[in-house]
Amino acid sequence: MNYSYIYKELIHHRHRTLVNILGIGVGIALFVSINAVSTAYQEAISLPFKNLGADIVVQRPEKRAIDSSQAPAAMRGIRVPFSNQLLPEEDIAKLASIDGVAGTASSLLLWEFDKGGFRTIMGVDLLKPGLGPVKVKEWIRDGRFPQKEGEAVFEKHYAKFHHVTAGDTVTIGGRSFTIVGLLEIREGSQIASANIYLALDDAQKLLPGDVRGVNVIYLRLQNPSLLGKVKTEIAGQVKGVSVTSSDSFLELMGGVSKISEQFSMLASVIAFGGALFLIIKTMLTNLVARSNEIGILKAVGWTGKDVRKQLIGEALVQSLAGGVLGLFIGYSISYLIGFLEIPIATPWEINLMPAFAKDTEAASKVVRLPVSISAGLIMASIVLSVVTGAISSYFMGMRTGKMKPADILRRL
Amino acid sequence: MELVVAQDVGKDYQAGDIIVKALKKINFTLASGAFTAFVGPSGSGKTTLLNLIGCLDKPTEGKLTVAGVDVSTLDRKQSAIFRGKNIGFIFQDFNLIPVLTVYENIEYPLLMVQNVPPAEREKRVMALLAAVGMTEQKGKYPDQISGGQKQRVAIARALVINPKLVLADEPTANLDHKTAKLVIELMKKMRDELKTTFIFSTHDPKVVGEAETIFTLEDGDLETRNMNGGKKNA
Repeated sequence: MNYSYIYKELIHHRHRTLVNILGIGVGIALFVSINAVSTAYQEAISLPFKNLGADIVVQRPEKRAIDSSQAPAAMRGIRVPFSNQLLPEEDIAKLASIDGVAGTASSLLLWEFDKGGFRTIMGVDLLKPGLGPVKVKEWIRDGRFPQKEGEAVFEKHYAKFHHVTAGDTVTIGGRSFTIVGLLEIREGSQIASANIYLALDDAQKLLPGDVRGVNVIYLRLQNPSLLGKVKTEIAGQVKGVSVTSSDSFLELMGGVSKISEQFSMLASVIAFGGALFLIIKTMLTNLVARSNEIGILKAVGWTGKDVRKQLIGEALVQSLAGGVLGLFIGYSISYLIGFLEIPIATPWEINLMPAFAKDTEAASKVVRLPVSISAGLIMASIVLSVVTGAISSYFMGMRTGKMKPADILRRL
Repeated sequence: MELVVAQDVGKDYQAGDIIVKALKKINFTLASGAFTAFVGPSGSGKTTLLNLIGCLDKPTEGKLTVAGVDVSTLDRKQSAIFRGKNIGFIFQDFNLIPVLTVYENIEYPLLMVQNVPPAEREKRVMALLAAVGMTEQKGKYPDQISGGQKQRVAIARALVINPKLVLADEPTANLDHKTAKLVIELMKKMRDELKTTFIFSTHDPKVVGEAETIFTLEDGDLETRNMNGGKKNA
């Protein structure tokens, strides 16, 4: 391959070269940005579970939720949410024994009503630091997480609203607690977001009677691909429980996420196809204009292979340059789109707030799109741009293969 | 020594349902070192014949031997390699590569076809630039030089591979008479210095007189053979 001739050809016809590079660049930029945003969308939806380190959340709906003829429970003091009930020990054991489940953790979510309103209290399993709402301890802004009985952590905004801070003593469910820390809830944390966090033992002691139950189980799978299988197993082995996973968010977002996923694929194909068509058309048009040159080169002894090598070299240089440009533009577009915030609705069964309550903190429902360009996407873009070059070279090779120098020279 | 031998060489072209006989079983022999012109009006078969001798096309019938090789049996790749080693071309429209300088236009057959080492390339290119009087213009691009200068560069490009044969198809058609005469004289001078065989086609009577051997083509027939003094070939 004659690199000097390739360079000179591309530089001499710089406008033509720029059009080709820009064509590929726009195609790749669309491909990169559409895929980055689509992936970010999926990432945003999976954030609530990612924040918990869990793949599945299991609860047992309260009977009243099924039998609506029952009268509502009293709305005073501490109680479990209307939407669920305490899980029997056998449920927990069965869930832990299901094939594909790598770990389990549990929590007790409580509501406390008084004349001043209500608050959510989350009792977390301190013995499972990597799974479940105990992971909120990573978001401590002031102080520390509870280590022993009688200690509580307050959500920062809730604490500010109620004029309490670390070191204060507060009463929860008639018992006295010391606030040992404040934490700030992060984006996409709606299934772990509560006003107060206690050790599980303390939360259990708040319930009337000697009840040592939990009402939310978090499962981590050996492999995320086992999700469907494990959900089916749960449905078969533990009757009557509600199973929630990140695809529940997906179902809830339904139209938007599915359209986004399908649209991104379609738009990527159209963008790439459009760029490819443009490049092939431009290059073939150029090829006709260059037929004299090709005729001369063949006359002086270039074989068809030599001509093809030259054209492949030119196409690859332009494609790679277009790919790099496209990556840069795509990254810039994605970066800007990353400033967008999208609302993520929470499935009702894992919404920690009473249905009649005002929305939770905005941060727990609105997520800034976590747009990033992965190494895989960079590789895919480079491969696509090279494929563009290869396909256009193939068509040009086909065309030049049919060119006989005598026919070209006869037309000169 | 015979360099080109044509025996009953014919060439047909298909134009729709019609077969056009561009060359009709012609016979001729050219000796090595000849300075020969094929003359005739447009459409008489001059370019077709040069294309056959230059292995750019194949005869429909007959046998054509160039430098001892029956070129009608060569496939496209073999033809390209044969051309690259043995035949230089000069075209009516000069056909220099626009993106290459004068120097590079002369150099590229050595670089891209024969893969000659850089020092040898430079020596040969500089010698030819001097021979055709284009040393001063070696850094210019084709669109920066005149038609006559372009044809000088084309002559140098044709000769740089040390070919056995140079084929020039209407080399003076796009030049004024004075420049045309200079170009033909340059070709003749190069023939004398390098002992390369030159075959050119023309329908310009003022240029024809410079040839040592003249073949006249008329409707695909080699009708007359006119010895114009100098070397005699047949």
